Amino acid sequence: MKKILTFLLVLSFIPFLKGSSYIYSYWGHPIHSAPGMNFKANFNSQLLGVTFVNPEDLMVYQDKIFIVDSGARSLVVLTSDFDKLEEITSFDYTQDYLDKLISLGITDETSLTLNGPKGVFVTDEGVFITDTKNYRIVKLNHDYQVIDTFSDIDDPTFEEILFEPLKITVDPSGRMYVIANNVYEGILEINSDGSFNRYTGVNPIKLTPFEIFSRRVMTEEQIAQLQLFLPTEYTNLVINEKNFIYATSKVSVNNAENPIQLINPKGVDVIKRNGYFPPMADIQYVVGMNPYVVSGPSSLVDIAYTSDGIYTVLDQKRSRLFTYDSEGNLLYIDGDEGRQIDRFSEGVAIDYLGDDLLVLDRRTNNIIVYGLTEFGTFVNSAIHYHNEGMFEEAAEVWQEVIKLNSNYEIAYSGIGKLLLRQEKYQEAMEYFKIGHDRYYYSKAFQEYRNGIIKDNFGIIMGGIVVLSGFLIARKIKKVYKRGGTILYED
Amino acid sequence: MKIRLSKIMKDFINFPAYILVHPFDGFEEFKRYKQGKLLVAIIFIVLFAYFQIFSFRNLGFLVNNNNPQELNSLQEIFSVLLLVFLFTVGNWSVTTLMQGKGSYKEILMVTGYAMFPLIIIGFPSVVLSNFLTMEEMPFYQLIVGIAYFLSGWMLFMGILNIHEYGLFKTILAFLATAVSMAVMMFVGLLFFDLIQQFIAFVVSVVEEINLRY
Repeated sequence: MKKILTFLLVLSFIPFLKGSSYIYSYWGHPIHSAPGMNFKANFNSQLLGVTFVNPEDLMVYQDKIFIVDSGARSLVVLTSDFDKLEEITSFDYTQDYLDKLISLGITDETSLTLNGPKGVFVTDEGVFITDTKNYRIVKLNHDYQVIDTFSDIDDPTFEEILFEPLKITVDPSGRMYVIANNVYEGILEINSDGSFNRYTGVNPIKLTPFEIFSRRVMTEEQIAQLQLFLPTEYTNLVINEKNFIYATSKVSVNNAENPIQLINPKGVDVIKRNGYFPPMADIQYVVGMNPYVVSGPSSLVDIAYTSDGIYTVLDQKRSRLFTYDSEGNLLYIDGDEGRQIDRFSEGVAIDYLGDDLLVLDRRTNNIIVYGLTEFGTFVNSAIHYHNEGMFEEAAEVWQEVIKLNSNYEIAYSGIGKLLLRQEKYQEAMEYFKIGHDRYYYSKAFQEYRNGIIKDNFGIIMGGIVVLSGFLIARKIKKVYKRGGTILYED
Repeated sequence: MKIRLSKIMKDFINFPAYILVHPFDGFEEFKRYKQGKLLVAIIFIVLFAYFQIFSFRNLGFLVNNNNPQELNSLQEIFSVLLLVFLFTVGNWSVTTLMQGKGSYKEILMVTGYAMFPLIIIGFPSVVLSNFLTMEEMPFYQLIVGIAYFLSGWMLFMGILNIHEYGLFKTILAFLATAVSMAVMMFVGLLFFDLIQQFIAFVVSVVEEINLRY
């Protein structure tokens, strides 16, 4: 609490901190928008009283914050008020694990140290750390004693390369999902006893017929010179309460449009892409060799989710945070690159602490706290109401959102949905048109058009009968004028 | 000069429709009896350019993928004119070498007349698209598909007839036309690029002289 007070001075400056917040319009243009999250506090290692060399991963579990540092080889535990609880570099073995080691014939060890840990994940069962340079996963209990370590993965891939786990997430049954270095088969699924189960979230490569043909024709040397067609390389993952895995991956030719995935227990990507653009962070970016600008697509390194299926991804390249809702609509873009106190220069990990977002910066060894702005709070609550089916409340909040930011297109379709339920079809159509929501526009239009036809059915039908009768009569008159007859003749 | 409505109807509706359903007889009259008129063809091309602009703005919301702020009428007009120019010149240069009997004027006229189905079906279908829901949109797409198919059919039969080709020779002529269009575009781009570089060179020389003296 004391430390929060320390930052009251900084907090008082917030209104003067200007960010150029933007969002992508339906047409893909970056347009002005209100920031959804703003800088709230910054904690450096001195303030926290810990040593950071290369902090790599951050995980919020209940009211604790877990951080691993690959340079200091330590696990740091903080309270949610950012007071230091633990800073551990050496982990004692539990009695069970000692017994297990003795049965294997190892008697001279009683503790272990980490070497370049890259990832941490915490469940009720314990703390899981990917001890990357020691090629193992370390499982601790909540007293930070070693319960088990997992190193030998029984898969043909690891006959040739070493098992270097990078990031880890664990489901409630203790099954571990691990991203390992140089593994392109997908995410490793490891059972709670350490035996390898399968790969999940595998993206098969698709070649065009022309590529297949040209590969057939080319010689081995030519193929070796070609760019390698590697499947998705994941960068980070986190499991949600329904055991679906949010994963981010590097952008390649093969998956230019799905760097963010939601992998279901079957191993299939089920993320919704119903927004104006698929969730892929920046849509417009410079491509080229110009050394003065940051070029190329966003490189996503971490993903965090909060309530109502809202998730945030971290773009390390441009130090930006993109927040999406469960339908895949881009909600707001925050964050800025720089060494100032309210910015971060090499974000490596993000996680939600309540409504606040923590960003771990590897270069400046800081934790930056972002809090929701008024705008962000409105947007989140509107989505909450919408998910609960409370369209009236949602529409009221969307009205407030439009007052703050009239560029916000998805708010218009939120209001349109209420108007549609209230059977104000014509107004609903207008709102859906501004919100570019074709599906609901079509529904509103159908009701509107069919209503008009229903109301004027007598006139329309009568008109058709009279018109056709008139035409027939004219035809008959013409026939008789020529001296013919309409009656049947031989 | 007295313009008779029935004459206009015949030139702009009845005769193109007759060609559409009787391609061989129709183009026989078109070529030998000079029934085809250059003015009609030009008006059809102009109408097609207008159709592009018209559909850009007035296509129903559910199928309109165009950003109304990006409408550039001149660009739409020039892209149609450029396409017509490239096709006619390409086809003419190819068929001259392939013993085609058609003149440049006839090729231009066939190209113009071939836009008849697109115009006659296109405008009503754009209006129709404003009155359809998402589920009914396949009807609109079917109608537009038919329009494009008929236009292609008319162009194909027209080229076949005015050059007095067989089926395979016509297909060959179309392929060669596509190649020649690509070549023309390449040469055009090359020309523009070179001219641009040349102008830039002259400008920089003049600038240099101005700065020195």
